[in-house]
Amino acid sequence: MVAPAGTASASGSARRLNQPHRALVEAHVDGSPRRVNRSPVALVREEWRVVDRWWTEQPISRRYFDVVLAGGEHAVVFHDEEVGRWYSQRGS
Amino acid sequence: MIACIVIPGFELRAALRERPRLQSEPAALAPEPGTEALLGPVTAAAEAAGIRPGMRLGEALATCPALQLVDPDPAAAEQAWEQIVRRLEDAGIAVDPAAPGCAYFETRGVERLYGGLEPTLRRGLKAVGPGWDARVGAARRRFTALAAANVARSGQVLIVSDEHTREFLSPLPLTLIPMEAGRREELQELGITKLGELAGLPGGAVAERLGPDGRRSWSLARGGSSRRVRGRKPAAELLETLEFPEAVGNELTLRRSLGVLLDRLLARPERGGRALRKLALAARLVGGGSWRRTVTLRDATAEPARLRAALGPKLLDLPAPVVALTLEVLILAESVGSQLELVQPEGAELRAHLSEGLRQVRAGTGSGSVCTVVEVAPWSRLPEQRALLVPRDD
Repeated sequence: MVAPAGTASASGSARRLNQPHRALVEAHVDGSPRRVNRSPVALVREEWRVVDRWWTEQPISRRYFDVVLAGGEHAVVFHDEEVGRWYSQRGS
Repeated sequence: MIACIVIPGFELRAALRERPRLQSEPAALAPEPGTEALLGPVTAAAEAAGIRPGMRLGEALATCPALQLVDPDPAAAEQAWEQIVRRLEDAGIAVDPAAPGCAYFETRGVERLYGGLEPTLRRGLKAVGPGWDARVGAARRRFTALAAANVARSGQVLIVSDEHTREFLSPLPLTLIPMEAGRREELQELGITKLGELAGLPGGAVAERLGPDGRRSWSLARGGSSRRVRGRKPAAELLETLEFPEAVGNELTLRRSLGVLLDRLLARPERGGRALRKLALAARLVGGGSWRRTVTLRDATAEPARLRAALGPKLLDLPAPVVALTLEVLILAESVGSQLELVQPEGAELRAHLSEGLRQVRAGTGSGSVCTVVEVAPWSRLPEQRALLVPRDD
């Protein structure tokens, strides 16, 4: 079973590394990010999709974007198409 | 006097504590995966419906279609049994736990404390606690005490004096004696179904016909040996648990988790440098139920590599993915025992520096701030599924 993106775990027990965090993203009409956490996106380096566990009650459908922001920072964000929210994630 | 406390169908009662509603319904303990499809203990309602322990699963379901099968929960049973034994020990009784649901003790040491034999036995029953339907038997001999406890009703105390032992055992069924099924059938074919009938035979003839097992059964039918009961040594309370955010089934992850648990356990100050003699590896399974295996080491050791080699193969027996893995030390070796090394292994000094540094970080930032990364599914396309952060508070 996979918990929905962004679910917190109890302290004291094992927890996931690289858990997704909510991100503030403004998108273009085609769905690609225009601004991430209020910083304009300078370049979309890569884009990919992850569709998994569609046979379970908690299917996963994510559209990932590897972006470079105007300040030179690097970020990976994804749009969770099951819940319609944006998240940032390390380790992608 | 030797006393015996018996809780009939203990494993089923322990499994039903989470589901008390089933206690009044026809229910039975399901066979363990991979074993013969025979029922374990059954509830009173199931017994009234014609179900007997040891019945074939198919036959039982045909007899009583409403029969509910309860998955065995060996970890919960062991935990509940340990609590009962500790309550008895808290009452000052040195207990010899023979099996979950059956324990012996000598009453002599505590009779004066509680004002006689019967009050001691009643105190023992009280220590077991309500809801277990325990019963107690007492006699000069161990087997007679067990037989008395099996005959007694729930909450009853049954004392058999030495001179009445033969008379008491005589009408009891042969099923009270643990023996090979073949031997029991052989005796039944000979028309021997009661303890008295077996006890009445000449010992030499029984030994010749049935071998050492038969001779032992014959001796038990006559009351058994009067060997003293020796209370157990108090159990070590060293236990480490790792809870997973989701069920884990792959061997690699489980082996890595076992490594983390071993490191934590070996770092516990309560161990006092002593080697480990007996360990238990337990798991809570996805969808309920549990699993438990104990390992007794031929040579007590505290070497992680040897412990991993002894415990690792047990993980292959897991019947389902696990949501929590527990490693418990049951017996510690008496002394430190191992000779000091003349030359420390390479890296020992560095590890000591690192350990001290981490201890200081923990002291400054609090418990749970130092973690180990354990890879669980490095092949996963979801980054959050690839690794876990496991707190290291050792």
